[in-house]
Amino acid sequence: MSVQDRVIINKLPTGVPGLDEILGGGLPEFSFNIIAGAPGSGKTTLAHQIVFANATPERPALYFTILGEPALKMLRYQQQYTFFDQAKLNNSVRFINLSQVVLEKDLNAVLEEIAKEVEKASPGIVVVDSFRTVVRKALGGATEVELQAFIQRLALLLTSWQATTFLVGEYVEGEIRDNPVFTVSDGLLWLYQAADRNSIVRKLQIVKLRGQASVPGLHTFRITHAGLQAFSRTLGLGGQQRKIPSTRRLSIGIPELDEMLGGGIPEGDSVLVAGASGTGKSVLATQFIAEGIRQGDPGIVVVFEERPQEYAERAGSFGLDLETPQHEKKLEILYLRPLDLSVDETMREILDAVQKIGAKRLVIDSLAGFEMALAPSFRTEFRESLYRMITALTGIGVTILSTVEMTESFTEFPFSTYSISFLTDDIIRLRYVSIGDQLRKILTVIKMRGGNHSKDIREYEITSEGLVISDGRLTDYQGLITGIPVRLSGPGQKEEAARPPKSRSRGRKKA
Amino acid sequence: MSPSVSRHLARRLLAYEADAGKNSEPPESAAFRVCEKLRRSLCSLAGVAGFRSLLSRALALARAEFPSLNTLQVSADGSLKALTELGPQRDNGLSDEGGAILIAQLLGLLLTFIGEGLTLRLVQDVWPESAFEERDSGKEKKA
Repeated sequence: MSVQDRVIINKLPTGVPGLDEILGGGLPEFSFNIIAGAPGSGKTTLAHQIVFANATPERPALYFTILGEPALKMLRYQQQYTFFDQAKLNNSVRFINLSQVVLEKDLNAVLEEIAKEVEKASPGIVVVDSFRTVVRKALGGATEVELQAFIQRLALLLTSWQATTFLVGEYVEGEIRDNPVFTVSDGLLWLYQAADRNSIVRKLQIVKLRGQASVPGLHTFRITHAGLQAFSRTLGLGGQQRKIPSTRRLSIGIPELDEMLGGGIPEGDSVLVAGASGTGKSVLATQFIAEGIRQGDPGIVVVFEERPQEYAERAGSFGLDLETPQHEKKLEILYLRPLDLSVDETMREILDAVQKIGAKRLVIDSLAGFEMALAPSFRTEFRESLYRMITALTGIGVTILSTVEMTESFTEFPFSTYSISFLTDDIIRLRYVSIGDQLRKILTVIKMRGGNHSKDIREYEITSEGLVISDGRLTDYQGLITGIPVRLSGPGQKEEAARPPKSRSRGRKKA
Repeated sequence: MSPSVSRHLARRLLAYEADAGKNSEPPESAAFRVCEKLRRSLCSLAGVAGFRSLLSRALALARAEFPSLNTLQVSADGSLKALTELGPQRDNGLSDEGGAILIAQLLGLLLTFIGEGLTLRLVQDVWPESAFEERDSGKEKKA
């Protein structure tokens, strides 16, 4: 069968940001689905969101309520969500209570009642909430075969009448096996909710979806005044085309460091700047973003430890104007500090900002702050999620500079406490070194995946102009990276004293 | 919507049903007709049990204001009925004033639970637009 002969399955929007992408484009039209989960997991809200996103006067939604949440209370609470459109009530969205029929009659009567309403309204969407109640009632008096026959006939009826159906029910995972409801259904959306220390973690999974490829795995979601919002594990970048690798080098705004990097950072690289507190990681990151804006590359700075205003003011103290580019929409400073964010939710915020201003450079300052902003249970997923985001963003040509704070050790020279150096193409290490009676600073380029780089260890200072690298090299010391070098004084040793950095006198730079 | 507004709406519905019911056989009070129309609509939404609870509560609240409503009760299907022993000479226990109080209490409960927007939508789905227009009743003309 050729591609053009195949039936095209229309996809309906869920009305839930992020969920259509997880479903592989939306809900398959005329499908027979189950929304399952524990009480309070958001099943009814999800069903309402789908209903209000799709119901029209011509193809209304029928919402059958059965013995669960009383309909008036459901309306009382659901109307608090912004998606709830009162104008659609009874016109496009009709609520029908079947409690009496379920209580007093058998499955045939339930089916007859549903059929009567469906044939009368010709709905586009049908919801039965809670279907679990129907099943419980059925199991009280009907055999399993009768129940299966009922579900089969219900599915046939609703599909024949061209309705996309959702059976909402409280199920636990062990019930999936040998359950006729799950066997007949085309789609199974499972909502989970778990408390982790002081945070609530919500996740959803498309356990089953016939006819289209959904994104596998657990995806976090949040319920706000706007209803559910889902965050795909692939961050919505799964299908995005990778950019052809660039040969462009990006200046970091420090000529000597650009030189050490072989002409700058290769565009689309992920750079890690590691160092102890006060070594100038944030200063370097600010110079990188400011230089980018100066060269026409819009940028995003994600900060966790200080507010955007403070960040911009600190940049100003180094002669870098981050205020103007923010007004000109060339720079966005994102402050993310809620303590129960999911990784994917945080990443979504970053990605939205990147896409909004077409950012070419992204600074994450710092990874420790990022991790702390997450709900405790998400911290275990931090590396994996970071990997996904970095891969996705660098794949579309965004150059990422992340800072990571290192505990200074004078016996070892670690690059990162997060074991995330595998995520980075390039590593710049900043550290303190004890020379004479001074605590001075050195930097070195540890790794550059894209090619050769300087092996020099250079001294630098944080001045009013930012991070400035000294002209000379500390060639008369051995063991600089230990932090406690030994001065070499033997014959033949080259004595090239490090000279204090020269002021560039460039004045206040407009980024 | 304030209680006075819900009472005003109740009076309009009663006035509309009084007009509409002039020629009905057997004659029944406007309040019964309003209750019955609301029952049919709300049972579909909230179920028979849901509507019955709501009307019972409304009746209890209304009795506090208008004790002669003691002659009424809510039946199993949610319909309003007069206690038989009192007979028809008491206007089925539902005078214009008592009816207005009962309907206003019922609308008031809906307002409390689902708000003005949804309550009005539900009511507007039951009655035609003309039911909500100002009516020149005979009493108003005399005044």
